[in-house]
Amino acid sequence: MASHPSEGLLRRLLDEPDGVADVDRDHVGACPECRSRMDAASADALLVASALRCDADVDVDAGWQRLRGALTEPAPKVATRKKFTLRSPVIAVVGVMALLGGASAAAAGDWFQIFRAEKIAPVTVDQADLVRLPDLSAFGTLTVVEKPNLRRVEDAREAREVTGLPSPLVDDLPQGVTGAPQFTVGDRIRGVFRFDAEKARQATGQALPAPPAGMENSEFSLTAGPGMAAVWPEARGVPALIVGRVAAPKGFSTGIPFETARDYLLSLPGLPAGVADQLRSFTKEPTTLPLIVKSGTETSFTTDVNGLPATVLATRDGTLAAVVWVDKGYVTGVGGSLSTDEVLEVARALRWKK
Amino acid sequence: MPASVRADLEHIFRAAYPKVVGVAARVLGSRDEAEDVAQETFLAFGRTNVPAGEAIGWLCVAAAHTALNHLRSGRRRAVREEAAGGAGDAVAPDVADAVVTREEHRRVRAALSRLPRKQAVALVLRHSGLSYAEVAAALDLSPGSVGTTVRRAESALREELNRGQSSE
Repeated sequence: MASHPSEGLLRRLLDEPDGVADVDRDHVGACPECRSRMDAASADALLVASALRCDADVDVDAGWQRLRGALTEPAPKVATRKKFTLRSPVIAVVGVMALLGGASAAAAGDWFQIFRAEKIAPVTVDQADLVRLPDLSAFGTLTVVEKPNLRRVEDAREAREVTGLPSPLVDDLPQGVTGAPQFTVGDRIRGVFRFDAEKARQATGQALPAPPAGMENSEFSLTAGPGMAAVWPEARGVPALIVGRVAAPKGFSTGIPFETARDYLLSLPGLPAGVADQLRSFTKEPTTLPLIVKSGTETSFTTDVNGLPATVLATRDGTLAAVVWVDKGYVTGVGGSLSTDEVLEVARALRWKK
Repeated sequence: MPASVRADLEHIFRAAYPKVVGVAARVLGSRDEAEDVAQETFLAFGRTNVPAGEAIGWLCVAAAHTALNHLRSGRRRAVREEAAGGAGDAVAPDVADAVVTREEHRRVRAALSRLPRKQAVALVLRHSGLSYAEVAAALDLSPGSVGTTVRRAESALREELNRGQSSE
């Protein structure tokens, strides 16, 4: 007689008998012990099916109308029965990853990061503003001359070797986070932006204020990275925990002073006035890295991580949180499907292996 | 519709919405909350370029994770709700449900949130009607290990329910 089939195989036999080999099916038919194990599996399956049963008779048309409204509404200020906010936590995590994984946003058009970051301060933007934020490419040409080449590496040692950065050690993982992290690294990214008045005029559809002398002949070089992220993964959903570090974004100018160019860009139509005002206030501190905080779904507050000023971001429903701080030219972040207390606990207890 | 939203969203939404709500409802035990989660999931999906052929798996996994996250963050809230007289929008009564009381529902959800995440997601996907092959593809599991993962999860939930009964 063949050996006893595994519990998993017995379980599948309940649901998909055709997915199980004949020899195993025959064995179970003839083996009292396996019949008994299968009865136990069947009882558990029925109990759980009953416990998980739910009324999920939905109105698809109404659901589609609601989704379409959420996708097209400029700013969903009036929430309809919003126990949870509607924006995706996945997007927030992607945002954190973008920052940690080489700050590729800098080259993709996030020109707030043109200056070196020594401190982080949140900028609050309505969802509508975020959608309208102009991509730099609408105002000139943006060429990525060094690509970050984000990639998975084998382990912490390789991550250290590739990036030259220390790798994080988390001694006490938050409840619900298990296993070993996977490491993702990114090389330094460099993008070059060149302002194009004609293109900008077309993009905004109106006459532009006269650019400062030399603006069109200047090149602005943006760099970020290298960086690494340790990710305690979930299959294909939200990462449970991310700890990452990246060399802070820096900006260089080959022509007119950077501040002059930035103030001019800030004055262009297309940038919501409120955001421009907020950004202008940051320019008094040229070492501050503004983080975009979507005001509809995320909250932020400042605290400290071992004496360094840090910004905490969290989705309003509490499903995701991240803390970001800058130390000696490096941006470090801890985020995941955790509470703000949990990310701060991890952040404050982090150790780094060189 | 904004240009950043994928063109096939409505088609996929109409085909998959009931299933995605079902996945979230099994985790949360509330259809209203499940619809919130499903909406959140489709909003995220609308901005991805996940191939249409993988959409249902992606959506179900994302809905399960999002719902489990809500479960986690809602634990403190649940304590308050219980103190205030129990969840308002509980599961619809059903003859078969009579064997599983509201208290047991609460315990099941608490246990779900304590399971290793992959087990919890596999369990919910399987009980939402995904085949073993679909669960395997969606979770990067080998088809052979789906049964093992689901069996372990069911066994853990049953123990949780039994522990609750014996302590009453």
